[in-house]
Amino acid sequence: MENTTHFGFKDVATEDKQSLVRGVFDSVAGKYDLMNDVLSFGAHRLWKRYTIASSNVKPGDKVLDIAGGTGDLAIEFRKKVGDSGHVILSDINAAMLGEGRKNLINQGVFGVDFIQLNAQYLPFKDNSFDCISIAFGLRNVTDKDQALREMHRILKPGGCLLILEFSTTDSEFLKKFYDFYSFNIMPKLGEIIADDKNSYQYLAESIRKHPNQETLKDMVLNAGFGFCEYHNLSGGIVALHKGIKA
Amino acid sequence: MQHFVLEQALNLLIEKGSINLKPLDQKVVRFSLQDLPLDVNFLCTNNRIFVLNDIDRPSNVAIKLKASAFFSLFKGEDLAELLRQDQITIHGDVKTAQLLVDLLQSIEIDLEEILSRYTGDIIAHEAGKVAANFKKSTKHSSSPINVIKDGFSNLLINPTVSELYKNKQQ
Ligand SMILES: C[S@@+](CC[C@H](N)C(=O)[O-])C[C@H]1O[C@@H](n2cnc3c(N)ncnc32)[C@H](O)[C@@H]1O
Repeated sequence: MENTTHFGFKDVATEDKQSLVRGVFDSVAGKYDLMNDVLSFGAHRLWKRYTIASSNVKPGDKVLDIAGGTGDLAIEFRKKVGDSGHVILSDINAAMLGEGRKNLINQGVFGVDFIQLNAQYLPFKDNSFDCISIAFGLRNVTDKDQALREMHRILKPGGCLLILEFSTTDSEFLKKFYDFYSFNIMPKLGEIIADDKNSYQYLAESIRKHPNQETLKDMVLNAGFGFCEYHNLSGGIVALHKGIKA
Repeated sequence: MQHFVLEQALNLLIEKGSINLKPLDQKVVRFSLQDLPLDVNFLCTNNRIFVLNDIDRPSNVAIKLKASAFFSLFKGEDLAELLRQDQITIHGDVKTAQLLVDLLQSIEIDLEEILSRYTGDIIAHEAGKVAANFKKSTKHSSSPINVIKDGFSNLLINPTVSELYKNKQQ
């Protein structure tokens, strides 16, 4: 089949992937935060904390969080940029953005803008942002190279892209444990807690299909970034890539 | 994760307004120790500093020095004096190098205080203790910066295996 891409371990028509991904996140939106805490044993909070701390974002900065979902990163960025800065929380999925909006209001965070958008087409001028983040989102994007080029375009020179994503661990022990966990336990937990086994099966599969650390680094550099480094977290189960526009 | 603490500390200093980064804009300064595994690049851009491991483009300035000279710098030794003694070699623009060394020296003054703004007092205190230990030693097998960074990152990402955490438990 030509013009296909992967949706988890399945091959699907490229134009269908986006709506299939939408289906997954429509379905998990309401239970998303709870599931994140349960499935990662709370570790996603540490990974995100590290991402924020690594961002070098300061008061007055303009920050875009892509695939921002329920807003964890946007909330912290808002605190960092202060009133003189600007944070935009964006996601392709209205249900996830809705949860994000609720979350921010519940936490008393104001002054964040919400935009529904596809990472492949960013409706902003060139050289607009000091920092762009995408956490656990890139693997869901159909054309990752295009999305990375768009991110590069709208970053200011010296601006920083942060990609937090599941990755590849070198440890045989971790690999075995992680495989067992994600293909046996994760979908089961998804079924029990969120009544949605298939979505969590997809999430586990999509993690395996995502490019490893070095491949993603090359993709970032090929998109035009002058510098890219990554840092493994939790033994490489997750990696933070940092691209800098030269 | 490698250069986390160093990058944080430098950027907080810059944010405090004590150092003007404009003269260093778009400059890459490479800093290598001859006898220890420390080889980092400081990229100054968008009025902040990124500390990077390896880069594909040549640096504007390359500073090479022996470990002992490195520790002297951290103790506040004059760069010009070390240059005179041939303890340091600099390829490229010396003025740029001097600006960077000023930054590195000022990190020592307030490491604990700077970190506490980010991490809370306890972690900062532990990291400060590690820094102090390494400042005392000039013979250690790793650089102080790496040890602080790695210790701190471990604590953040995987507290149960962190040496800093273990020390705190005792
Ligand atoms: C696993 S969630 C991550 C949410 C949040 N960043 C976090 O770390 O908790 C992935 C998000 O990516 C969004 N997404 C998927 N494809 C996208 C695309 N092409 N453009 C923008 N967002 C997308 C989904 O709607 C979903 O909210």
